[in-house]
Amino acid sequence: MARPALRPLRICRNSLLSYSCTPQRSILATITATIPQNNLRQPAALRSHLPTQRLYHSQHHPDLPPHEYTNSQTTILSAALKHVPAHGFTKDALVLGARDTGFLDVSVQLLPRGEFDLILFWLASRRGLLRAAVEQNGLLATSDGVNAIPASVEEKTKTLIMKRLRMNKDIRHQWQDALALMSYPSNIPLSLSELHALSSDILHLAGDASVDASWYTKRLSVSAIYASAEVIMTRDSSPDLAATEAFVTRRVEDSKAIGDKLSGAKQCLGFMGSTAVGLGRSWGLKI
Amino acid sequence: MSSRSLWRSLRLASKRQFAVPETQYRCFSCSMRTQNQPKSDKDRMTHFGFENVPEHEKESRVGAVFSSVASSYDTMNDLMSMGIHRLWKDHFVRSLNPGSALPSRNVDSAEKGWNILDIAGGTGDIAFRMLDHATNINHDHHTRVKIADINPDMLAEGKKRSIETPYYNTDRLSFMVGNAEHMPSIPDNSVDLYTVVFGIRNFTDKQAALVEAFRVLKPGGVFACMEFSKVDNALFNAVYKQWSFSAIPLIGQLVAGDRESYQYLVESIEQFPTQEEFRGMIQKAGFMIPGRGFENLTGGIAAIHKGIKPLSRV
Repeated sequence: MARPALRPLRICRNSLLSYSCTPQRSILATITATIPQNNLRQPAALRSHLPTQRLYHSQHHPDLPPHEYTNSQTTILSAALKHVPAHGFTKDALVLGARDTGFLDVSVQLLPRGEFDLILFWLASRRGLLRAAVEQNGLLATSDGVNAIPASVEEKTKTLIMKRLRMNKDIRHQWQDALALMSYPSNIPLSLSELHALSSDILHLAGDASVDASWYTKRLSVSAIYASAEVIMTRDSSPDLAATEAFVTRRVEDSKAIGDKLSGAKQCLGFMGSTAVGLGRSWGLKI
Repeated sequence: MSSRSLWRSLRLASKRQFAVPETQYRCFSCSMRTQNQPKSDKDRMTHFGFENVPEHEKESRVGAVFSSVASSYDTMNDLMSMGIHRLWKDHFVRSLNPGSALPSRNVDSAEKGWNILDIAGGTGDIAFRMLDHATNINHDHHTRVKIADINPDMLAEGKKRSIETPYYNTDRLSFMVGNAEHMPSIPDNSVDLYTVVFGIRNFTDKQAALVEAFRVLKPGGVFACMEFSKVDNALFNAVYKQWSFSAIPLIGQLVAGDRESYQYLVESIEQFPTQEEFRGMIQKAGFMIPGRGFENLTGGIAAIHKGIKPLSRV
């Protein structure tokens, strides 16, 4: 009974590596057969029926839309954004937006979260604009061709953070109210996930490709820099947000310095550890 | 001993109610419908609590129930829900935020403020709250509410109460006897906000009422409905069912002297579709659903459903 089971192993006996290759290949074959992978090789237009909730991400996937509002909701929200500089992120702005687009005052019921929806839409749409600025308008492209030194990830990150902050310029005086509303306990989870989405987008656009624990620390530090810079921005009256820019520059340097110090400390600890091991061995310890 | 026997009778009573499976009715009525499609209205059956009655009879039997409870309506609501129904109603009105806080762009005073139609709002509970909210919160003195109810006794109760409010005998408050499934006196596209609070459960044909709501609403107008619904937590559901099937009819018997009406009330709650089913019915009538489409109150004992009539594409 054991013989037929052994037969496939005997076939690839001549190579050491292939001793274990046959069963593996067959498993792979069954996996690829069950997953409709050829779907992913089709152009984006044909892939539209794929579910939007994915378990993994790939740069070959088409970008997810920055928000999940329906057409009517988007119509009202986009019109309402025009009233934000005058009325702030309030129900009034929503009502005026609804009136502008032919809806009734009561139609703002379309947005179950009310003015918080307006804030979320602002954040999500600006994030979409940032993405478009890089991918379509070449925000980070180096201007003078071959000789230019490609900017480092830190510099790109800083440029992107400033680009995003400058989008807030017109509504800067209303932003403290929005921050207050975002820190309302029931709104915190959505606000944080939007902040994470922004920092993730910024790092992705800056070309960061870390796959280890620094994936988390980098997003955390970009989030922290962006969130604190937003608060500075609300009180910044200097032309073209110069004070905010200086603040962001200092914070990016800080986080770089902290990163350098941490890796220095890690290196130092590593040396001390290996010295201790060497010392122990010289004393005859079995390590 | 007496208390124990009372307890036992209550438990048995509640168990009897549970023993009637919900699906039995459905199968029966479905098969009736498929077999007797061409037959007249008279022979179609609908549910009245756990009973099956001919459709033409339901209206009069519901009418009898509410005529009998009209006078003790508020006391009973307070006792049955332990006062929570007031919080629900306040939340409902606050979330709708009736009244225009911003000056209207229309110069015509007939177009200022909102046109609100409150269906099955006989005692004026919701109507007075909405007028108060519009006046005091949004400083809108033009928003009008029309209360429609199929039952003249409930409307009489509402009229009596309206004397105490500042809206008595003004053009901001009006009353109308009418059937929500067919309201020819209300023109198409004339209503900003259509509310029905703890009423749609008693309608004979809910889908027809939703279609009628869609007709009378202006494009962009809102259908808002608060109704008893299904509790999502199994443990809480057990407690709630125990309360509704044993305590509520008893309270009804002791306070209002009318056990049958309150027995009907809890049975009709049991028969009402789930949140998802009802959302589907609202969508079927043509409404857009904001977000999830419903909001559960107190773990799903009640739920607020909303639908928005889309703008017509010209």
